[in-house]
Amino acid sequence: MNLSPNLKSFLNEAGDIARFTGRFFSQTIRPRFEWNEFIRQCFVIGYLSLPLVGLTAFIMGLVLTMQLRPSMVDYGVESQLPAIVGIAIVREIGPVITALIFAGKIGSSIGAELGSMKVTEQIDAMEVSGTNPFKYLVVTRVLAATFMLPVLVLLGDSISLYGSYLGVNVKGSTSFYLFWMQVFDNLSFSDVLPAFVKSFFFGFAVGIVGCYKGYNSMKGTEGVGRSANSAVVLSSILIFIIDLLAVQITDALGIN
Amino acid sequence: MTMKERKAINNVKLGFFVVAGLAFLVLVLYMIGRDQSMFGSNYTLKARFDHVQGLVSGNNVRYAGIEAGTVKKVSILNDTVIEVTMLIEKRMLNIIRKNALVSIGTEGLVGNKVVNITPAHEPADFAVEGDILPTRRSVSTDDMLNTLEETNKDIAFIARELKTTVTRINNSSALWNMLSDSGIPNDIRSSVHQIRQATGKANLMVNDLHELVRDVKEGKGSVGALLTDTAFAYNLNQLMMQYQQVGVQADSLAKEMQAMVSSIRQDVNQGPGPVHSLLKDKSISDKLQQSLDNIQKGTDGFNQNMEALKHNFLFRGYFRKLEKKQRKAAAENAATP
Repeated sequence: MNLSPNLKSFLNEAGDIARFTGRFFSQTIRPRFEWNEFIRQCFVIGYLSLPLVGLTAFIMGLVLTMQLRPSMVDYGVESQLPAIVGIAIVREIGPVITALIFAGKIGSSIGAELGSMKVTEQIDAMEVSGTNPFKYLVVTRVLAATFMLPVLVLLGDSISLYGSYLGVNVKGSTSFYLFWMQVFDNLSFSDVLPAFVKSFFFGFAVGIVGCYKGYNSMKGTEGVGRSANSAVVLSSILIFIIDLLAVQITDALGIN
Repeated sequence: MTMKERKAINNVKLGFFVVAGLAFLVLVLYMIGRDQSMFGSNYTLKARFDHVQGLVSGNNVRYAGIEAGTVKKVSILNDTVIEVTMLIEKRMLNIIRKNALVSIGTEGLVGNKVVNITPAHEPADFAVEGDILPTRRSVSTDDMLNTLEETNKDIAFIARELKTTVTRINNSSALWNMLSDSGIPNDIRSSVHQIRQATGKANLMVNDLHELVRDVKEGKGSVGALLTDTAFAYNLNQLMMQYQQVGVQADSLAKEMQAMVSSIRQDVNQGPGPVHSLLKDKSISDKLQQSLDNIQKGTDGFNQNMEALKHNFLFRGYFRKLEKKQRKAAAENAATP
């Protein structure tokens, strides 16, 4: 096989990740679920990410509204500003921006945490002590990331819409009730549900990539930094690829 | 704080976090669902159109501008009839009547389609579940554009005609010469001035004529007298009648003369008649001589008559004038040697 070394290593890693994902599913459905660790990870991954996600979401909503206003004024549809910002946030900006922030914070922390555990041979010690390290470390984190990101996206959306409401009122005057009504008059289930569903996949991608990079980290402390870094890069790329696939699927199904 | 307590607090925080997120999701879904009338009690009304202009399920239904429900289904009954089924909120049960008019409109100029239910002012029963309401064809953008296209064609035709006319005007050298000739305005000005003067004179003339006619009517002046004097007219009439009689008599005289002449001719030619003997007979010649003398005398009498006529009042003026003229001519002849 005359494959270039880069392509070879890429395919090698892709196969490894696929096998890792398969192992995750097989371990998840086996009994003895680590509930306490799962709840703890949910707290760390979800709740502790809220301030960061909330801040970025708020700024995003405010800035998006203020940036859109001149164009809307040019077209004479300034009154439709809440509607268009609402759709943009709920359909695309909310899930993707939140997932990227989430990848930056959680992907790197999982990669670094598992990587340092790996290089300090804590994982091996766990195995010796009779605890299933994959179940305890990987399954809980991936599931926590998968279920916490949609919640973060929902809360991020609401904070983002509030930021947008303030943005509308920077140069105009709209009551909160009218803003709210205008946003929801123009939203439909096909706007909300696909975005909600794809945020699960975003969370899963961030969790699985972070765990994979950390779990397979090597070469001492240098390897820890590298796994944290590559976890963020790869999960960010995966978020966009999943987004692309999601829009193709919803388009093909006619729910857009 | 023990490890266990902290864990419990963290769990509460996590629970709050998850519940808040899910509550927002539920709220969003509920708001959207309420907009599409998925919750609450509704009843259905139907309307049939020949064209729904892009109406789809989920579009709003408004009664006199107030949200009253949504479009549930748009189905094709046959090639020309499309049935729109509307989900109407129960609170509209005692508001929408059977004769309310349904039409399809647009939110704004380019917004979503919307079904408008407009109340009719005639009394009718309230519409109930499954009723088919009467519809009104609304003016669609297509119709407007069609009308506009007709107008455009007309405008294009007018523009073309106008262009031809303008081209002709531009190409007409006579017109341009006339327009560029600075003398023409002066000519026109003087013409107008003259016309004004002429009109003024004509006006005066008409006034004079009017006055004259009025005077004549009132019998003023010689012509008036002539035209209004009935005695004169009677005399003239009499005279004309007499002339006519004279003519008649002269005619019969001529006939008699003709008869006489023919009989004379006969006599002369055939001998036994009086003329024959007259011409042959010397005594008759003498008698004829005597007769001619008598005629001479008659002529003198006629002259006297004529003289008498001269003194008749009608012809007196004429003869006087004649006399005057002759006298003047004689005087002139005498003055010029």
